[in-house]
Amino acid sequence: MENILDDYAHRNALRDVDTRLKLALGVGAILIGIFSTTPLSPLIIGLSMGVITVAIARIPFRLYIGLLAIPVSFAAMSGIVILFMTGGGDPLWTVTIFGFSFIMTTESLNLAVLVTCRTFGGMSSLFFISLTTPAVELFSVMRDLRLPKEFVDLSMLIYRYIFVLIGEAIAMHNAQVMRNGYSGFRRSIYAFSMLGAMLFIKAWEKGEALLVAMDARCYDGKLEVMEGERHLDPKGVVSVGCYLCFCSAITILCAGKNFF
Amino acid sequence: MHIMEGFLPSPWWQLWFIISAPFLIIGLYQLKRLFNEKRDTIPLLAVAGAFVFVLSSLKLPSVTGSCSHPTGTGLGAILFGPFVTSILGLIVLIYQALFLAHGGLTTLGANVFSMGIAGPLLAYGIYRGGMKVGLNIWVTVFLAAALADLFTYVVTSFQLALAFPAASGGIWASFLAFGTIFAITQVPLAIVEGVIIALVFKYIIAIRPDILVKLKVLSQSMVDRIRGSEA
Repeated sequence: MENILDDYAHRNALRDVDTRLKLALGVGAILIGIFSTTPLSPLIIGLSMGVITVAIARIPFRLYIGLLAIPVSFAAMSGIVILFMTGGGDPLWTVTIFGFSFIMTTESLNLAVLVTCRTFGGMSSLFFISLTTPAVELFSVMRDLRLPKEFVDLSMLIYRYIFVLIGEAIAMHNAQVMRNGYSGFRRSIYAFSMLGAMLFIKAWEKGEALLVAMDARCYDGKLEVMEGERHLDPKGVVSVGCYLCFCSAITILCAGKNFF
Repeated sequence: MHIMEGFLPSPWWQLWFIISAPFLIIGLYQLKRLFNEKRDTIPLLAVAGAFVFVLSSLKLPSVTGSCSHPTGTGLGAILFGPFVTSILGLIVLIYQALFLAHGGLTTLGANVFSMGIAGPLLAYGIYRGGMKVGLNIWVTVFLAAALADLFTYVVTSFQLALAFPAASGGIWASFLAFGTIFAITQVPLAIVEGVIIALVFKYIIAIRPDILVKLKVLSQSMVDRIRGSEA
């Protein structure tokens, strides 16, 4: 909860670059990675996206490393299953647990490496989007994509209230900690439930207040937001295009190539 | 348990988007009707969405440590019904992917199906069923939240198993393998979440029962009976 990435998105060095360009770069890289049949191109995407995020967008390096740790536990657990359950190729290593033998083969190793690289590439591209693009700017893109306006409005309201509730939650949590709220497992359960319930009630009361406030301002089911003019920078378009072409070229040229 | 970006290979991530689509369309249709007919529920729905997000980003007190976040969608389903919850789930999952780096964009379809559709549908079914049979309310809420959480992780294991079937034994063997390895963290988590949501429910009934009556989650006579038996 401490790492709301949106905070960083508001003060990264690529803040003023057009949102559509950043989204094209991030989503394009994700798609190239997921369609790739070689671990090489998602690996390159992952590393280059990391460099772009840290060096060009000036996101603190330590924060970035910490973020990469989030998908690691999921990738490791699922990677182990793929490693020992899928098969094909020559057996490399056999382990016996509780009388069951698990066999690691060349193809399962290749598949596990491919999937791990894809996750790495995909997560780095996702981090690029979340660390350089503030959510506020996503709403205008959502509108350009002609998503239903009810959906966009609800997203905006939810976005606004996330920060209000996080503030409330932190204040309540601090108060509980000062009163030994989380000193044992049983107490933690009680304290956490109390936090959840009070948060819900507070949220509800805020919602009722919001209703009055919106009615007072003649809310008729449509939120109008002012948007500044946007223009695409030709240099940016060319460099994003080159990068995506380069990644696609590697994917196509090395299709099916594996490390083992 | 979210599937991380890039983990699902090609035919599967598109497929889960297609499977989730009809549920989201029903949800969107209901949302549109709410916008037109009962405008006063919209801000409440918005804060409920924010609540689900904040709840799911809080660390649960957990035994095993890693990945210990509640899903919160079980409570959403009990309060607002499963289809509107699927829309809330979709928005919350997009924000989780972007703000907290949990989940991903291509795996959004699969995650929405497990967290936003399968879990809430089950929670809603259990809650309504339990109320009809006259089961104790705390037991019902506990079961709804805990089983919805468990079911979410069962569906996730199934999604992964479909994408990566085992060489010997196929999808079923692979499902068991994913299921067992996630069970280590998810089973205690589901029980903790069940207890917590039941307690949350208890506190809400104690302080603002009118909210639950307004949402038609409980009737006024039920609230009186519960509060009467408490006192």
